Amino acid sequence: MRLFSTTFGLALAVLATFAAVGAAATLVVGSSSLAAGNSAVTSCGVSSLSATRTVDNSGNVTEVDVAGIPAACSGARLSLTLTGSGNSALASATATIGSCGTTCTATFTSLGTVAASNLGGYAFAVQG
Amino acid sequence: MKTLRRTLVLLAALTGVGTAAGYAATLPVGSLHLWGGAQTLTKGTCTLSGSTQTSDTYVQQDHATTSSGSATTMNVQSASGKLHAVFVSFDLSSCNLPATGGADSATLSLRLTTHPVQNRVLTVTPVTSQWTESLTWTDAVGLGYGATTTTVETGTKNNVTLAIPVTVDVDAKIKSSSANYGWAIDDLGAVSGTQTSTFASSENGTSANRPTLTINYEK
Repeated sequence: MRLFSTTFGLALAVLATFAAVGAAATLVVGSSSLAAGNSAVTSCGVSSLSATRTVDNSGNVTEVDVAGIPAACSGARLSLTLTGSGNSALASATATIGSCGTTCTATFTSLGTVAASNLGGYAFAVQG
Repeated sequence: MKTLRRTLVLLAALTGVGTAAGYAATLPVGSLHLWGGAQTLTKGTCTLSGSTQTSDTYVQQDHATTSSGSATTMNVQSASGKLHAVFVSFDLSSCNLPATGGADSATLSLRLTTHPVQNRVLTVTPVTSQWTESLTWTDAVGLGYGATTTTVETGTKNNVTLAIPVTVDVDAKIKSSSANYGWAIDDLGAVSGTQTSTFASSENGTSANRPTLTINYEK
């Protein structure tokens, strides 16, 4: 009986451990899907971003500047996607936000050939 | 003794749960900081033409104090001591474009009513200081000009419309919210004799032939 109670206790401990680890695994999945949503989780105080682009005389995008990034985001990764009709991705790029003053600006130049007329918007993601 | 052993076993079980829970707290739940957002652009087109939205004239080196703002045609000419240059600008304010907007494309259309004897490559230069239709050659010499130019070929046919891409200039004007002083069109190529390209002005009797600026924009 003593052996049984000891074994039962150990089994309970192991079971509890695995159950907790299982719960942890569930948390990871849940938190990832939460982070992929829009503005559900903020990290460095960013609440909105806006971009402007410059063009060449042919009307192709040559550069995109993202402004108004909080200085606390320095060191974070900023992903930019140029979107077209139906939110299709026309081009994307990622940059590390450098150190800056009150607000930061990130500049993207290697975006391939994208006609400004096809550009319907921008999608941003800040990870850090 | 039995009670002590059961207590120890229970304690071990609770320790296991606590350790696992603590481990869970260090998983990516705490380290994953993401923010996502989007910006949607609105597209539109603005076409400027006619004498109320256009200022245009041409100046003559050989008549340095003459203004030609009311002329119905304008000359670009290359000849020794007799250069002529066209000036044209548009009032962008009626397009109501915010500084956060931009030009997807901008095209300056000029109607070539009389072609030069030979095909000419005309230079289109942004003007950076204010002028009016009373502009003279003497005045034009004192104006400011942008460093980046565009070129357009005349061809050798009459009554054709030359489409000149000016997207970069217009995009920059929109973003800076600065006044648009338009462009100067010159024939700076080498020439023997006289080469004259004649364009319809904003005072031309045929409205379809008047200078036009078409802007496809986003905001």
